[in-house]
Amino acid sequence: MIERTQALWVIYLSLGVALMTMLLPLPLEWRMLRPDFVALALFYWVLALPHQVGVTTAFGVGLVQDLIEGAPLGISCFGLMVATLVLLFSYQRIRQFDGLQQSLVMLALMVLSLGIEGWLRTGIDLPTLPLTGLLGLAISMLCWIPTRHVCRQLRRYYGVV
Amino acid sequence: MSAVQRGAIDGVALATSLVLAPLDAWDRLANVFQSRSSLQEEVLRLQQENRVLKGQSQRLGSLLAENARYKALLNSARDIGDDLIAAQITSLSPDPARHIVMLNKGVNDGVTEGQPVLGAEGLIGQVTSSGNRNSRAVLITDSAHALPVQVNRSGLRAIAEGSGSIDRLVIRHLPATTDIRVGDLLVTSGLGGRFPHGYPVARVTEVITLEGDAFATVFAAPSSLLDRGRYVLVVMWGDLEREAAP
Repeated sequence: MIERTQALWVIYLSLGVALMTMLLPLPLEWRMLRPDFVALALFYWVLALPHQVGVTTAFGVGLVQDLIEGAPLGISCFGLMVATLVLLFSYQRIRQFDGLQQSLVMLALMVLSLGIEGWLRTGIDLPTLPLTGLLGLAISMLCWIPTRHVCRQLRRYYGVV
Repeated sequence: MSAVQRGAIDGVALATSLVLAPLDAWDRLANVFQSRSSLQEEVLRLQQENRVLKGQSQRLGSLLAENARYKALLNSARDIGDDLIAAQITSLSPDPARHIVMLNKGVNDGVTEGQPVLGAEGLIGQVTSSGNRNSRAVLITDSAHALPVQVNRSGLRAIAEGSGSIDRLVIRHLPATTDIRVGDLLVTSGLGGRFPHGYPVARVTEVITLEGDAFATVFAAPSSLLDRGRYVLVVMWGDLEREAAP
């Protein structure tokens, strides 16, 4: 029998795996179609365990994301932190939603976080996402239900509380 | 660059190589089973290419010496033959808005910030930050990048900006009456001291002059295909040369 401990490492492992998906090679013009598993996994854990995963984790995740992208450190942190905060304020309601409704909420959160990042990038004269990047958001939205399924199985199996 | 920054770049490169390890292993396996005849064909092709290149470079030595004598007569800074180091593009930044690549050479190999990166046919970018064993380079098509160029035919100088699209550079704000034509070769002008003079950059593909407009917009296609070829050359163009540049 598996020992039911807090097993917090599951959270960080899943976030790490999500960050790893950013490193998978894609052709230059197709990169915008990559689903944003990092944000989805982060939002799942905030939604499921708001007392464990919050703004600080979002900050750390954003930092690693910037490191991988080679972007100025911290530029994606603020967006993720604000989105996490919104989620923390309303997780009880969002938990009641069905899959489609939750997907739409995740889309809104990703638009919020990327919007803030884009705004910061404009502020320091860095290129922002082209309009076709919205297609990537749609794909990320479709990935919410599978991501939620996998993370939920992990959470239940390892009894993360 | 601090040790922490250099370590961070190396760390990202290491994580990437871990993720890519299965794919690399597959590639290697495919190489093992590559047929003997296809390898022989490739050797023949490379030998021929090598012969042609050797033939072309025979006159280069005397031309360089001649050029150096002329330069000495003109009392100008001596062109130093640039040292090159071969590197491999190991990954592409996941950020879809940027064109940033990771190279497998770093400070330990002499690759430092600001060094130009060459593809097979011309300039493709410059090193922006380097770790101990890896470095990041931004491509000339990145929309945050711009470089001073010169039209090879007329000597006209301009700034070629990246467009964010891999096959296109833009030159804005050229007077509408400027002598620039489709097919003109753009080379680095050496102004600004960041890039050495004379490396091919792009070929003009389109010149747009609107009636009544004071400026023309010129589009150019990079000489080196930036999304192909994993091998690049980094020019060891240090601070000394940069200061000596015109």
